[in-house]
Amino acid sequence: MDRLLPLVQNETLKIWRKKRFYVVVLVLIILIPIFTYAQMRISQTNAQNFKDWRNQVMNQINDYQSTLASDSVPEEWKRYRRIAVQQLQYYLDRDVNPSTPDAITFTRGFMSGSVTLFYPLLVLAIASDLVSGERTTGTIKMLLTRPVRRWKILLSKILAMMLYVSLIVVTSFVLCYLISGVFFGYEGWDAPVFTGFDVSGAQVDSTNVHAIPQWQYMIMQGGLIWFSSMTVALLALMVSVLLRGTAASIVTMMAAVITGTILGNMASSWESAKYFFSVNLDLTMYMNGSPPPIAGMSLPFSLTVLAIWAAISIVVSFLVFTKQDILN
Amino acid sequence: MENKRTSSDTLWRVVGLAALLSTALLVAGFGYAVKDLVWPSPEHTPIQSPQAELPAKKPLSESSEIRITAIGDSLTKGFGDDEGQGYVKQVVAMLRDKWGIPVRLNNNLAVNGLRADELAESLRTNKGYQYTIQQANLVLFTIGGNDLFQSVTGEKASEATGQFDLEKLKAGMPEGLQRFEAVIEQIHALNPNAHVVYVGLFNPFYEMEDLRVGSPYIQQWNQQVYDILHRYDNMTIVPTYDLFENASDLYLSSDHFHPNHLGYEQIATRVVQSLR
Repeated sequence: MDRLLPLVQNETLKIWRKKRFYVVVLVLIILIPIFTYAQMRISQTNAQNFKDWRNQVMNQINDYQSTLASDSVPEEWKRYRRIAVQQLQYYLDRDVNPSTPDAITFTRGFMSGSVTLFYPLLVLAIASDLVSGERTTGTIKMLLTRPVRRWKILLSKILAMMLYVSLIVVTSFVLCYLISGVFFGYEGWDAPVFTGFDVSGAQVDSTNVHAIPQWQYMIMQGGLIWFSSMTVALLALMVSVLLRGTAASIVTMMAAVITGTILGNMASSWESAKYFFSVNLDLTMYMNGSPPPIAGMSLPFSLTVLAIWAAISIVVSFLVFTKQDILN
Repeated sequence: MENKRTSSDTLWRVVGLAALLSTALLVAGFGYAVKDLVWPSPEHTPIQSPQAELPAKKPLSESSEIRITAIGDSLTKGFGDDEGQGYVKQVVAMLRDKWGIPVRLNNNLAVNGLRADELAESLRTNKGYQYTIQQANLVLFTIGGNDLFQSVTGEKASEATGQFDLEKLKAGMPEGLQRFEAVIEQIHALNPNAHVVYVGLFNPFYEMEDLRVGSPYIQQWNQQVYDILHRYDNMTIVPTYDLFENASDLYLSSDHFHPNHLGYEQIATRVVQSLR
C-alpha cells in the first residue's frame, strides 16, 4: 500500500495537466447562465400572471386535472399527472411552496435534471481516455515498464477518477449556486422539501412523507448523483481499457447513456429494459417522488443494477488490463 | 527541477484535499439518502390552511384592484373558444377598459365535465380552492349543465347526442339544485364579501325541433337558481338563454353545444353589465 499514494498523486496530477477539468468547469460556466436565464424568464412570467405561489400551484393542478378529464390523453401520462397533482396538493395543504424562487432550489433542479445526460458527459470528459489515452500517446509502455504491479496502476487510476467525479459534482453545485444566486438570491438553505412519496401504486402513498431542509436534501441528492456518476465512470474506464481509441470509447459510452434516456421515455411496456444501467441513472427521482420510467423500479433495485454493472466493469477492467499485451 | 516538484506537491495537496473532502461529503450524503429512502422516519407536517385576507365589501368600481376567481365546468374553462379566452378572460379585458383599475385573474379552476357535487366537494376540502375564493372580490362560475344532462344521458354533456328523455331531465332537477345550493353555501361561507356572478344555463338544442321541448326545463333551472341566489345580496345570475335561441349558428362552436369566441363575448358583455 505504501506505494499506492504516490501513484494516485501521479494520476491525479496527470489528469489535471491534461486540462480536462478546466474544460468541465468551462462548460459549466457557459451552460449554467443559459439555464438560469431561461428559468428567470419563466419566473418573471409567473410573477406577472399570479398573485402568489399558491395561485400558481393551483393553476398547475388545474391544468393537470384538465388533462386527466380528457379522453384523448394516454393512460400512462395520466398516471404521471395524477401523481403530480397529489404531490402538489400535499404541498398546498401544508402551505409549503414546492419551488421557492432562490438559488438553492434552482441548483437542486439543475442537478437533478442533469443526472441522466449532463453529468455522464462531464464524467466521460475525464474518464474516457484514462487508459486509451496512454495508448494513443504511447506513454503506456513507460508506465508498464516501471517496477509496479499493473493492478496497482489501474487501481490508482480508479482512485484518481473517483476524486475527480467528486470534484465534478461539488464544483457543479458551487458554480450553479454562485451563478444562479446573482439572479435568484443566495437563499433557500432552510426551505423544507417533502420526500418519501411512494409512487409505486396508482395513488401516491404519503405515509412515509417527511420534510427535510433543502441543504440536507442537496447533500443527499449529491450523494446519489455521485453514485450514478461513479457507475458511468467505471463503465467508461472498462470501455477505455477494451477499446484502443479515445474517440471510440467516448462514442460508445455516450451511445449507451443516450440509449438509456430514450428507453426510459418509451420502454414502459418493455420491462427488461430496467436492467440496463442508464435507465437507472436518475436516482434523484426516488427522492423527489417522480414515478420511475418502468414499473418495478425502486431505489434498492436501481442501486443493485448500477452496482452490478460497476462491479462487472471493475472485474473486466482488471482482468484485461493485467493480462493485455501491449503491442505497437 | 526542485521548484517544479514543490509546485506539483502544492497542487496535489490542494486538489487532493478538496477532492477527498468532496468525496467524504458525497459518500456521507449517499449513505444518508439511502437510509432515508429505504428506512424512512416519517414525521408528519400538520395540515395548515393558508389564510387570505377577505376583500372589503364595496362596489367593484371603488376597489383598488379587481381580483377574479373563476370556477365551474367547461363553459368557464372556455371550451369551444378557438382563441382560448372563454368569457372569463374577456370579462378581465372588458373590466380593465371599463374602470381603468387593475384586474387580475387569480385562477380559473374550471374543469371540463365538472358536476356541482364535485365542485362542492372541492370547495369543502381543497385548501387551494378555498384560498383562491377568499382572495377574490369577484367570483364567476357556471355549474349544473353536466348534472342536468348527465341525469338524462348518463354521460358527459359533450356526448349528449339528443336522446332526450324529458322525464329524466325533470327527475334529475331536484338533486341538481340541491348540489347547486351546496356550492352556493360553500362560496358564501368562504367569502361573503365577494361579488358572485352565475352564468345561467341555455339550451344549445333550441333550434332542433324535437329538442326544443327541453327549454322550459332549462328555464325552470334558472328560475330555481334565482330563488337560491336572491337570498344573498352579493350574488346574481346572468341570463344567456336568449342568445342561443335564434342566433345559435352565430354563437355556438362546431360541437353545437359550447359557445364559440363570439358567443363567449356576448356572455362576457352581460357579466360586465351586471357589475358595479
